[in-house]
Amino acid sequence: MDDWVISMMLGVSIFLGAIALFAFLWAIKNGQFDDEEKFLNASKFDGVDELNDAVNQERKKEELKKSYRPE
Amino acid sequence: MSNDIACSHCHLEFNESVLIKDGEHYFCCNGCKGVFHLLSDEGLDSFYDKAGKTTLTPPTMQYEDSANFNAPAFYDKFVKINSDGFSQVSLIIEGIHCSACVWLNEKALHKMEGVIEASINFTNNKATIVWADDVVKLSEIIDMIRAIGYNAFPYDSSIQEVQANAKRKEYYLRMAVAIFASMNIMWIAVAQYAGYFSGITQEIKTILNIAEGILATPVLFYSGWIFFRGAYYGIKNKVVNMDILVATGASLTYLYSIYITVLEQGEAYFDSVSMIITFVLIGKFLEVLSKKNAADTLDIMGKNIPSEVNIVKDGKIISCKLGDVAIGDIVVVSSGEKVLLDGEIVKGSGSFDESNLTGESEPIYKTIDDAVVSGTTSIDADIHFRASKDFEHSTLSSLVSLLESAINKKPKIEQIANKLSEYFSSVILALSFITFIVWWIWPHSFEVAFMVGISVIIIACPCALALATPVATLVGLSLGASRGVLFKEAAQLETMAKVDTLILDKTGTITVGKPEVIKEKIYKEFDKSILYSLVKSSKHPVACGITEYLKKEIDIGEYILDEYIQVPACGISAAYKQSKILGGNLKLINDNGIDFDFESDNTIFYFTIDGEVVAIYELSDKLKSNAKNLVSNLSNKGIDVVMLTGDHEKTAKKVASEVGIKEYLSEQTPENKSTYIEKLHKDGKTVVMVGDGVNDILALALADIGIVMGSGSDIAVDISDVVLLDDSLSSLEDAFKISRTTYGLIKQNLGISLVYNAITIPLAMAGYVIPLVAAISMSVSSLLVVGNSMRIRLKWNKN
Repeated sequence: MDDWVISMMLGVSIFLGAIALFAFLWAIKNGQFDDEEKFLNASKFDGVDELNDAVNQERKKEELKKSYRPE
Repeated sequence: MSNDIACSHCHLEFNESVLIKDGEHYFCCNGCKGVFHLLSDEGLDSFYDKAGKTTLTPPTMQYEDSANFNAPAFYDKFVKINSDGFSQVSLIIEGIHCSACVWLNEKALHKMEGVIEASINFTNNKATIVWADDVVKLSEIIDMIRAIGYNAFPYDSSIQEVQANAKRKEYYLRMAVAIFASMNIMWIAVAQYAGYFSGITQEIKTILNIAEGILATPVLFYSGWIFFRGAYYGIKNKVVNMDILVATGASLTYLYSIYITVLEQGEAYFDSVSMIITFVLIGKFLEVLSKKNAADTLDIMGKNIPSEVNIVKDGKIISCKLGDVAIGDIVVVSSGEKVLLDGEIVKGSGSFDESNLTGESEPIYKTIDDAVVSGTTSIDADIHFRASKDFEHSTLSSLVSLLESAINKKPKIEQIANKLSEYFSSVILALSFITFIVWWIWPHSFEVAFMVGISVIIIACPCALALATPVATLVGLSLGASRGVLFKEAAQLETMAKVDTLILDKTGTITVGKPEVIKEKIYKEFDKSILYSLVKSSKHPVACGITEYLKKEIDIGEYILDEYIQVPACGISAAYKQSKILGGNLKLINDNGIDFDFESDNTIFYFTIDGEVVAIYELSDKLKSNAKNLVSNLSNKGIDVVMLTGDHEKTAKKVASEVGIKEYLSEQTPENKSTYIEKLHKDGKTVVMVGDGVNDILALALADIGIVMGSGSDIAVDISDVVLLDDSLSSLEDAFKISRTTYGLIKQNLGISLVYNAITIPLAMAGYVIPLVAAISMSVSSLLVVGNSMRIRLKWNKN
């Protein structure tokens, strides 16, 4: 019983920590910390519009990728 | 100024009468108006809420034709094709003031058809733009940036810079994993150690071991990958480096711990595995972090050279690409412009600033048939000159190519820790192997012999050794920073401590670089405000010196002068009320029929009213305070001090004898200076060059350490290794002191870790080291090194 509890707790807490770690790694890879000024100012310019824009931008990229034929 | 109104776009304040009124908005110019309406039409006017009260630069409407950006040659040079097949360019955006500007540019570009990605770095104004080239062309993208009031020009994002950033990012990722896992292992280890003292069942111990093992795996194989890679290169080049020791130590310990876990007896060392990797990785990262990023230097050099010049063709002035100017073409240079080609003046005259080549701020007067040299700047001359060389062979471009080769020729001095770690690693590996063999041959089981052998490697944990240099240099760098001495790279501290020759530039380094009034002789009382009004608007260094001097007087006012004429290379003449006033050199007053005799080594400024000399000012370039002390202190430390200057023999001799420099060379061109340093290098000297101007950059780049005054030209600051922020010579002395202290500290730290090893390794070989002692002693050695470094810091802060 003791063994089961302790392995469970270890497993769950390491798993939760790992999720946070992977989110952090993803953010570094994504370049979110490359520009400290922009990173600190980002919260000021965050809103519904910006989120929509980001999604539209992704969509635009996908569409262009399909139709794009480099010379 | 109550009726000043801010322009609705740029927020600069102007008088209401000069503004353009448009509805409820006011604009300072049509440029601002255009941008304002464009933003409103595009629905981007929330920019103004975001920008707040930040003032912007009003947009200019004169740009070179953007169609040039579509030229195939341009695409070849700057546009890259990314992995998805889209075009990508790096731009520097001009006019970014605040984060709202970044927002606006990104937003406007994202709205464009075909633009896939636009990301702008606020800190360095560099942008990366990705677009589909069949939908939109680069010229249209640049037109958009210009239309919203900014300007963009492409730069060649050098591979070096990209690599440096990628490397740093790689370290961040690996450190994040290592630190996360180590911290988790630590709290599991707390349970392990508690169990070691108070008893723990084998089942719980195995569970803890497994958890630690799971956490240690990514640390060893992901974070520690750097060491495996380093070890591989080390073996390939037949060098036993620190990486081999770390890699073998950590992986052997890891394998042994797995063995223990499976066997369910003894102690596992997963905590040691992750601690070694994490500590040494941090040490390595500190070194990477403080490596100089030489990547941007040549960018800036190129940025300062305009791409076009005006030439006369068929009686008309047309603009021409710099590379297309042929020998014999007539080039037009107006006042304030840079001379980009070499040649002879055929029309016009005026003074030139040749400080880029000579370091002297005194303007040089040139007229027809005189040679103009590329890299100089016209102060007030509007001239036509015949090009005698094309741009490829001009002085300016040969300077750029010399600079490139100088950066590559810079000698690399091997660092003490690198040398030491090579021996250390070989010795430890050999010792642990011998221990293992001896214990095995002596009647012991394989397991016991293996464990003792490994304990030698763990005890000899290279943490302390790996941290010795980075921690010491970090202390050195921060000491320097707090005293206005910026070392750009940590390794330079060590190099500087080994320096035996110091080369000083004269103007701006030993001397202040500006003439100052040292003596005032008044022959007849006069209103000093007249003189002040005369000299105030001249940019000539002598006039500036007098302006500075007069500013200290009380009751100085300004009058309006008539007939104000600057006589090139002579002085200024003007009229005040009915009297004619003159201010300038002897030639000026002689030309105006005034005879006056005065002997002095210094520069003399004569001031006359109605043909009568009323005052004489003697000006001289003053020595910086404690220049003399510096020279004598450094000579006492065994450093040879040499002065190199572009100035004349007479002045050079005077300054050299005043500060006590025995060896000096005068009339040195930038090339002369660099050959002199090459000669010293051949003699086996380690050289520091101290300078401030563009004329010193070759020497700065070539010297082992290039030190530059903070007020020096941008290029010189970029190329240098050390920057003295307050321009003073006392911080130069500090730089020497700090580097020597740091070097001493590095040696102490290495000494501590070696002594520590000398004590503990025999114990380990004798088999006396129990796991707990191993773990504790590992931290203690690292703490000793860090603590010793802090001690030096405290000692310095007390002084």
